[in-house]
Amino acid sequence: MTALGEATVAAEAEVVPATPGGLRRESAWRRRDRRWGYVFVGPQLLGMTLFVVVPFVASLVLAFAQWDGLNDLGWVGFDNFRTELSDPLFGRAIVNTLLIALITVPVGLGLAVVLAVALERLKTRTLYLILFFAPVVTSSVAVAMIWQQLFRKDGVLSGFIANVFHVAPPDWLGDPHLALIAVCIVTIWSSVGLNVIIFLAGLQNISPSIVEAARLDGAGALTLFFRVRLPLLSPIIFFSTVIAFISSLQTFDTVFILTANAGPDNATRTIVYHIYDLGFGKFQFGPASAASIILLVITLVITGIQFAAQKKFVHYEDGAA
Amino acid sequence: MTAAPAPARTAPRPAGAPAPGRAPRTGRGATRARTTILHAALLLGGLLMVFPFVWMLLTSFKTLPQLLNDPLGLWPAPFTLQNYADAWSDVPFGSAYWNTIYIAVLVVVGTLITAAMAGYAFARIPFRGSKVLFVLFLATQMIPMQVTLIPFYFLMARLGWVDSHLALIVPAALANPFAVFLMRQFVLSLPKELEEAAIVDGAGRWRIFWSVILPNLRPGLGALAIIVALSTWNNFLLPLVILNSQELFTVPLLLQSFRGQFGSVNYGLIMAASAIATIPMLIAFVIGQRRIIGSMAASGLGGR
Amino acid sequence: MSRVDSTVRRALAITAAAALALSMAACSGSGGGSGTKTVVWSTWGTPEELTRYKDFDQKFMKEHPDIKVVLQPVADYGDYHTKLLAQLASGTAPDVFYIGDDKIGQFVNSKALLPLTSLMESSASKTKPDDFAQGLFGATKKGDEYYAAPNDSNPDALWYDKEALKKAGVTDDPATLAAEGKWTTEAFLDMNEKLHKAGLTGSMFWNYWSTHYSWISSQGGKAFDDSGKFVANTDTTSVKAMDVLAKNFQNGTFVVADTLPEGAGADSVFVTHKAGFFVQGRYTIGTVKAAGDPENYDVAPWPTPSGKAAPTGVAVSYLAINAKTKNKDAAFTFWTNFLSAEGQTQRLQGGGNAVPSIKGADKVVLDGYPEHAKTLLAMRDIGFEDYATEAAVPGLSSDISDKMLALYQGKASTKQTLDEVAKMIADKTGGK
Repeated sequence: MTALGEATVAAEAEVVPATPGGLRRESAWRRRDRRWGYVFVGPQLLGMTLFVVVPFVASLVLAFAQWDGLNDLGWVGFDNFRTELSDPLFGRAIVNTLLIALITVPVGLGLAVVLAVALERLKTRTLYLILFFAPVVTSSVAVAMIWQQLFRKDGVLSGFIANVFHVAPPDWLGDPHLALIAVCIVTIWSSVGLNVIIFLAGLQNISPSIVEAARLDGAGALTLFFRVRLPLLSPIIFFSTVIAFISSLQTFDTVFILTANAGPDNATRTIVYHIYDLGFGKFQFGPASAASIILLVITLVITGIQFAAQKKFVHYEDGAA
Repeated sequence: MTAAPAPARTAPRPAGAPAPGRAPRTGRGATRARTTILHAALLLGGLLMVFPFVWMLLTSFKTLPQLLNDPLGLWPAPFTLQNYADAWSDVPFGSAYWNTIYIAVLVVVGTLITAAMAGYAFARIPFRGSKVLFVLFLATQMIPMQVTLIPFYFLMARLGWVDSHLALIVPAALANPFAVFLMRQFVLSLPKELEEAAIVDGAGRWRIFWSVILPNLRPGLGALAIIVALSTWNNFLLPLVILNSQELFTVPLLLQSFRGQFGSVNYGLIMAASAIATIPMLIAFVIGQRRIIGSMAASGLGGR
Repeated sequence: MSRVDSTVRRALAITAAAALALSMAACSGSGGGSGTKTVVWSTWGTPEELTRYKDFDQKFMKEHPDIKVVLQPVADYGDYHTKLLAQLASGTAPDVFYIGDDKIGQFVNSKALLPLTSLMESSASKTKPDDFAQGLFGATKKGDEYYAAPNDSNPDALWYDKEALKKAGVTDDPATLAAEGKWTTEAFLDMNEKLHKAGLTGSMFWNYWSTHYSWISSQGGKAFDDSGKFVANTDTTSVKAMDVLAKNFQNGTFVVADTLPEGAGADSVFVTHKAGFFVQGRYTIGTVKAAGDPENYDVAPWPTPSGKAAPTGVAVSYLAINAKTKNKDAAFTFWTNFLSAEGQTQRLQGGGNAVPSIKGADKVVLDGYPEHAKTLLAMRDIGFEDYATEAAVPGLSSDISDKMLALYQGKASTKQTLDEVAKMIADKTGGK
């Protein structure tokens, strides 16, 4: 939390010492610098263009076509968009997906931050790391099958809840209301460990002397957490939030195996499941692509909101945003 | 670490006497009770986390008759290792392991280098279009792969990379916006003075990157390595579509083999196969995390 | 700093070496020597099934030394079609491949499959069209042209538990009644009532086309007329039959197996003697044998008002040839051998999970279990696959099943449901 000055990017140029012929030296350095920029992003840029952008553009094209995967392409303009936007199943999918995202991201990340902070203070953290990380390394196929058995109405979990809370055993996978919760539980369960690792790394990055200084100033545990650790961790938290939202908006595997497709009454029908069903289930790749463009727009909006909020909530060392 | 005087709130302890059994890293004088509660809470949380995993192991030791006749019983009765024997012999786990491991290694190395470079550039090097490019990078992440699958496969077919590991390695290593984003964030959290000192000394970007930035990115690199290794290990859809020959299969693909279409699914067998697929990764993590977390601790920014 | 450099240098060296090794390894794959034709074929299956396929491939290659066979297995049924589609779209599909009966319609209506009628009737063919049980072709016969053939079948049969029946106080044996021509709907419903009163499940059905159409057909109704139009909602017999079916589901006598937890759900109920009837295919044998007391189980056809057997549903998977195959003759040789009586016998013998689709391989089924195994053959011979109208539209069959599920759960009335199904079919086929 030291004042580092605005240090905007342009000001970097000031750092270059004046030498004989100073002005010329500056701009040459700047030009070389810019070129280095391209070199550094080069490999990823190349990879992205070839392997991501090209298929992306292809699917964009498909959104305006009618294609069943086997026959030829036909052009239908905006029809696919019209069909999808008026399809109640798609609407349901959007609602479900947003619910999943809004539940799993705050809860999952919140849990991970608390755990990471707790673990950072312990020397003997290996055991806990293993326990929390085990779900992450288990393959998603196995995870879904395991939870399918655990969530049975006559299974271990429901029995426990029935005994402890004196209610009827919950039918996780059959009740439309509970099914969504079940999916959220599995999602959080299988990803907390990963975020704990990321946040742990971020916490390690915090210089101990800052914490010392704050403590010397009389800061207690909570103050340390909210005023020191959290802000310094905020760039990493920001990253995790953005990525977590993007990935939860794309929930598919869990739903596919856990609730055997769309769940009771389409309660766990997510956008990507809907897309998969349109494409590989009904052989309608045009509407599937249109739906994925709509998903892209939704994701961009949500990410945009987060980037805008970044200015207020995320603290960078040099004030950069 | 200097022993800081305990804050007024906590009970004063004799100077220099660490809490029994645990020397608090930061020198903070946590009371025994607090740490014990912390441990208890973490243990409970940890057990909840790992319970499904334990259940998977227990099921893997059960016989099919027991699974059919008593699906909810907890303990294996009788206990059998036959599922493991069958799982291992039914499909070529050995070659699958080798494949999955070397693919993961290559992807991790490739990703770490190219993503750190790109992340550094986005964070620190001002170049035209960097913002636009970054948004584009991120946007490509937002299209689900179910949609890009067929065009991607088409591309691989044109390149001749179908049924080859190249399709699994090169795109993964060279096109990971997620990794670039993470590296950017880590670089952004480093103080600018590090580079400024080097620039004053006349160092070019390349040297700055290798000598100044990378060493300080160790925690971030470590975390990224784990994430990338994991997602490569678990990657299923792409290997499914790309690979045809069983010798080239990866571990998650083999796991799917046990699901079958009709009739009783032998859960014991599936869980045994899942255990075989999962446990080495867990062991690798246990061994690796000590080094990774160790390097995270050693790197600290120190002296500010 | 030099530490970073040397670590990086080491990493780069490993990467380079690996990339080299990789490019050498990547030169794997098909392409036989001159003179040898390669036939690539794909299917789904568990490891045991795959072992049988590989055995068949070996035997075939010994008998045809000029043909090399390469199998591309895909483990899961659902993933299989995803991959097949990707392969077909980019021209890298195998020469011969399986297709599931819920996807077959789309493939037949595209240009992806090789028309097979002339090949099947040629002298080189071991599988003439008439050798197969005719009802099994379903949507693969378009007009006069065949586009695929069934590689085996699984008649949807009424497996029953003698011990559960005894517990419910039932004295008659369904299979015996059927053999005497006395297996009436009345007798069946009576048994189910007794089972329900005794606290057991009457019958478990999977919710798919075979359940509702087999019931309609066995009760004397008509779901589709000869022109392919859906008529179940206007045919009074059909409506009455569906009413009976729905009521039994609604009061819990019948249970939809899909709503029980996957795998160990319905199977467990059956082997722990908690249900009287379980309607599914021959693969039930594996389940009951694994559970330990197979003598308690036997199989019967669907009951009818008159007691005489009527056509009911048979689940099938198909084998087709890629229209763009480069080795048409070799591919057909493989195809016809695979489907021939010898081929099916070799594949299915001792396995107990399917019924051959062709004449001349009956001994596979008549191996002694269950006692009335020949019921399965009789059902296959008069049985039918899903109606072409429905099978031709991808996803339609499962949409219809969803509507039926709502009916079974009491969320709609019978007539309403059937009308909605009629409308759905008309929308999806008329407007296409």
